[in-house]
Amino acid sequence: MAGHAVEHDYHLIPPSPWPFLSGCACLIWGLGMVTFFTGLVQRTGDSPMLEFFFARGLDTIQGREGAGGGWIILAFGCAFAAYVMFAWWRDVIREAEAGDHTPVVEIGLRYGMIMFIMQEAMFFVGWFWMFFEAGLFNKARAKWDTSILTNAPAYADSIAPGITAINPWHLPLMNTLILLLSGTTVTWAHHALIHNDRKAAKWGLGLTVGLGIFFTFLQVIEYAEAYAHRESGAPWLSTDIYGSTFFLATGFHGLHVLIGTIFLAVCLGLVLKGKFRPEKHFGFEAAAWYWHFVDVVWLFLFAFVYIIFGFSI
Amino acid sequence: MRLISKVALTLTSLMMSGIAMASQPKDGKIGFQEAVTPVMEELIRFHHSFVFPVIVAITIFVMALMIYIMVRFNEKANPVPSKTTHHVGLEVAWTLVPILILLVMVVPSMKLLYMQDRLPTTEMTIKVVGHTWHWEYQYPELEDKVEGFESYLLKKEDALAAGKPYLLGTDAPLVVPVDTKVKVIVTSQANLHSFSVPSFGVKMDAVPGRLNETWFQVNPGKEGTYYGQCSELCGIRHAFMPIEVKVVSKSDFHRWVNNGGSFSTNVAQANIAAPAAAPK
Amino acid sequence: MAAIGADEGYGHDDKPAFFARWFYSTNHKDIGTLYLIFAIFSGIIGGFLSFAMRAELAQPGIQIFHDLHTYNVFVSMHGLIMIFFMVMPAVIGGFGNWFVPLMIGAPDMAFPRMNNLSFWLLPVALICLIISFFVQGSASGNGFGGGWVMYPPLSTIGSPGPSFDFIIIGLLAAGFSSIFGAINFITTILNMRAPGMTIHKMPLFAWSVLVTAFLLLLALPVLAAALFMLMGDRVEGGTGFFDPARGGDPEMFQHLFWFFGHPEVYIMILPAFGIVSHVVSTFSKKPIFGYLGMAYAMVAIGVVGFVVWAHHMYTVGMDVNLKAYFLAATLVIAVPTGVKIFSWLATMWGGSISFSIPMQWALAFIFLFVIGGVTGVVLANAGIDTALHDTYYVVAHFHYVLSMGAVFGIFCGFTYWFGKMFGVLYNKYLAALHFWTFFVGVNIIFFPQHFLGMQGMPRRYVDYPEEFALYNEISSWGAALTGVSVIFFFVWVIEALIVRRKAPDNYWGEYANTLEWTLSSPPPYHQFNTLPVYKDEDHH
Ligand code: HEA
Ligand code: HEA
Ligand code: CUA
Ligand SMILES: [Cu+2]
Repeated sequence: MAGHAVEHDYHLIPPSPWPFLSGCACLIWGLGMVTFFTGLVQRTGDSPMLEFFFARGLDTIQGREGAGGGWIILAFGCAFAAYVMFAWWRDVIREAEAGDHTPVVEIGLRYGMIMFIMQEAMFFVGWFWMFFEAGLFNKARAKWDTSILTNAPAYADSIAPGITAINPWHLPLMNTLILLLSGTTVTWAHHALIHNDRKAAKWGLGLTVGLGIFFTFLQVIEYAEAYAHRESGAPWLSTDIYGSTFFLATGFHGLHVLIGTIFLAVCLGLVLKGKFRPEKHFGFEAAAWYWHFVDVVWLFLFAFVYIIFGFSI
Repeated sequence: MRLISKVALTLTSLMMSGIAMASQPKDGKIGFQEAVTPVMEELIRFHHSFVFPVIVAITIFVMALMIYIMVRFNEKANPVPSKTTHHVGLEVAWTLVPILILLVMVVPSMKLLYMQDRLPTTEMTIKVVGHTWHWEYQYPELEDKVEGFESYLLKKEDALAAGKPYLLGTDAPLVVPVDTKVKVIVTSQANLHSFSVPSFGVKMDAVPGRLNETWFQVNPGKEGTYYGQCSELCGIRHAFMPIEVKVVSKSDFHRWVNNGGSFSTNVAQANIAAPAAAPK
Repeated sequence: MAAIGADEGYGHDDKPAFFARWFYSTNHKDIGTLYLIFAIFSGIIGGFLSFAMRAELAQPGIQIFHDLHTYNVFVSMHGLIMIFFMVMPAVIGGFGNWFVPLMIGAPDMAFPRMNNLSFWLLPVALICLIISFFVQGSASGNGFGGGWVMYPPLSTIGSPGPSFDFIIIGLLAAGFSSIFGAINFITTILNMRAPGMTIHKMPLFAWSVLVTAFLLLLALPVLAAALFMLMGDRVEGGTGFFDPARGGDPEMFQHLFWFFGHPEVYIMILPAFGIVSHVVSTFSKKPIFGYLGMAYAMVAIGVVGFVVWAHHMYTVGMDVNLKAYFLAATLVIAVPTGVKIFSWLATMWGGSISFSIPMQWALAFIFLFVIGGVTGVVLANAGIDTALHDTYYVVAHFHYVLSMGAVFGIFCGFTYWFGKMFGVLYNKYLAALHFWTFFVGVNIIFFPQHFLGMQGMPRRYVDYPEEFALYNEISSWGAALTGVSVIFFFVWVIEALIVRRKAPDNYWGEYANTLEWTLSSPPPYHQFNTLPVYKDEDHH
């Protein structure tokens, strides 16, 4: 174990401010979340300044009168976090270009990405577990005690008061096709990259990002529809268990689509700047893996949440 | 090994004696409260005659081994360590023996479980509703005679006055006949609670929106008062919603029912509580 | 040997300056130290809460918590802080960070920056929990009093105030901290082992951390989902996952929680298993007995640990056949655990044992863990559990495996590696004083609680009938002794840090033969600039 100079290919990183700053961002974000959803102070009117920032931000969304800037902290937290992530990943890209990502380091990155996707998968397992439990045993539960369950709904009769379940063969089917198509385009881009066909790579990636954005756009329309057609004054998120699972499961999936799209967009930017080599482009592969994962989750959502349970009645 | 089982048995009998005639918790006692239903008797039998001796035996076995090792194989006693790191026979043994023990354990365990859980054809039904923070008892079949009533904790001085243990005694006990298969339907109105009577071997969570069922049958000759406490965290007064069950002879129970849920004063006193009279 | 590190890579002299070194750190040893300091800090808070609880319970009647609510807050916070902020940071973040890279011959963790993120999310989380103490919880006061298991409706309609929202945020932060940590450990262990060190020659502590990391990776996301559901239910006009009036089911949360919660308990104990294995081997002057059996027993525990969760829910009104399944599945775990216990005994058998401080902790660990384990087996029998569920018998059970299992494991590792980490030796008489008082203390606290439980005393009770007075008083005296003992702990640590007796590279002798002992104490700022080549002399 003699020898002084570094003689291994592992990547030792000099001190970095980003993790610590991420912590700070997370703290502000958390404070913002609580302020936004619950509020730290009641709106009594005797300390306007405080209440403007720390009274419940949700009121603003729900258009209550007197609603203040309860969303500001949250917004700031998100912006802060976004900046830190940007800076962090910029460092990573620079290191990659500096050649720090030796073969062994790259294998490590692959392990890391696989593990990350595994934990994402377990996250959705949680949602589907909730969904199936409610879906399969809901009617049984409704029968237990009508005196307590006055308005136990037949499952998936409505995703929100006044709206019957969304017809899977309209927007949702569209979205399915979009995602499947984007799956192929990203693979096309990958092969192009391997064969050093930059032009095709640009097209493939560009299309994928576009499709991703289009998907999000359609999801937004779908939610907007659901929101617009609900009885006025009804709870704004949902009334029953199907609505709850529907909105949060698809919602979290939507969030992941967004993340995936940004990830791909970054890669597109790099390709346009002439980065990535045929033999070495793990950043791109990671994005592709993630995109396929998001795709698969959607197929499950489509099959079960939309068709089998949503459309059975 | 014989020594071990001896110790286990003595400990067991010690616990038996410990629990003699405790219809409510007794200070300084170890072991369960007295069993007055077949289920609880079975439970205690299973525990005292099997599970407990087994775990005591295992613990003592490990302890004995450790003491022997510490005496025999410390630096002074054994300066040169051996080099053995494998012994297939041993490794198989200490995998198989526990498996066998557990296989033997699982059979009576299942028997007890199903006995507890499978309701026999019950003769009467009571509905228990958990409120934050008190209990409500209803007699669905006798509705026309006995209206449901709520049961509150007795304040310290009242408890002393009524000669009941504080934090266990209530102003209106649940009244049930002895030697009768009683079905208990448990539910809750807002929070989680748990309806639990140790002497009956009964513990069932009260879950809003859900009707849980359990049952008990108090053995003949076991008339008396039995206490339990809410056994699921339900908020600030979780510790202050006790359960008091008054087990009476069938005839007394009929009189109680016909008096619209009250005894003529000579039988008992502290339980003429219509919901209205319940102290808040 | 001692020479190395003096001036290699970043030698001692070009360590980064104080702020950069401790706040921007990317060095697994520094981060490990941060974790340990954090764990000790949380341990003090969690210990303080528990002593306050014991003071309240010392005798019938209300002593301290006249508003009742605050007691529940203390109980909940005690559970959460001890588990998420004391044990986990100590065994995984602390010892894992320090010794996994050293043991497998790696220069650092796979993702040093993410490693630091894992750490800094924890103070954030703890701050959130501490804030939650002081903001409106339920109508009845500040803080969240719904137990560490956070069952709805008590955690939804039951505590409308912002207090519980802070706990959600805090646990999400702590959860992601552990997830990133898990990714880091798995990658490090799978990808950065020294040349020649196959997975089957890897030290058992690394094995235990590997299994633990997988448990974290697969269990925590489900908790995250459950927490988001709670969040949604708490928003007015929000979701109704756990609201029966809307077709939801409060029990579903319990399933989601315990699917995480049961693996969590093995997450806390497995690293302790790893530590104890090394200590037992070192001080018996023998290689560990049945190495492969030991390793795969932990794998088995991890796997089975995922399919037994509902043994925490025997009384919620599950279908009887389900109960029967969970009963059987739970009993199975006793078998691999037994393999570990007996393998430790067999390692000592024929050895030449020296009863140094770490060995004392290890021996106590083995014995007390067996007690906690077998009471677990009692609880696993669904029939008996109806009598014992939510009584102090359960409290006794899990403190025997936690406050004596996990915590003894922590002190065992701390006394084993103290010199290696900080380069100084402690006074073994002071350390022995800490051990013996702690050993006696915790047993006095928790053994009588078995009796309370069988007599039927429920958990989370701020006040209890006189009938339970005796054992509660004994238990509280035990807590007092344990409190004194925790002070002795700080005494020996501080004494050692002040007196600074220089620790040699390997102060435990030839049988402490994992790679960290080939380095100086403390190791150079960056070790293994030339990777060690691992030649197998059958030492694990
Ligand atoms: C480190 C933490 C830890 C560990 C290791 C364990 C280990 C075990 N636990 Fe424990 N448990 C908890 C932490 C832990 N538990 C906590 C925190 C709670 C309460 C949560 C709450 O409600 O707040 C709890 C609650 C709990 C319950 C629910 C009780 C209730 O709420 O009603 C049950 C029921 O089955 C249970 C069972 C077991 C079993 C079977 C084991 C087994 O793994 C034990 C295996 C070990 C042995 C058996 C001893 C060694 C083996 C041998 C010597 C071989 C021979 C033995 C036999 C053949 C039996 N535990
Ligand atoms: C690891 C977990 C852990 C630990 C160590 C402890 C330790 C202690 N607990 Fe713990 N306890 C829980 C986890 C733990 N507990 C949980 C999960 C619950 C259930 C909560 C609920 O119901 O929701 C509970 C509930 C609980 C109750 C039941 C309350 C009730 O139901 O009403 C009681 C009552 O006596 C109690 C007492 C104690 C005492 C006296 C200690 C003493 O042993 C404390 C002594 C002090 C220490 C052990 C700290 C020393 C450690 C350090 C200083 C850090 C060292 C670190 C390094 C060296 C790196 N605890
Ligand atoms: Cu009702 Cu606890
Ligand atoms: Cu468990």
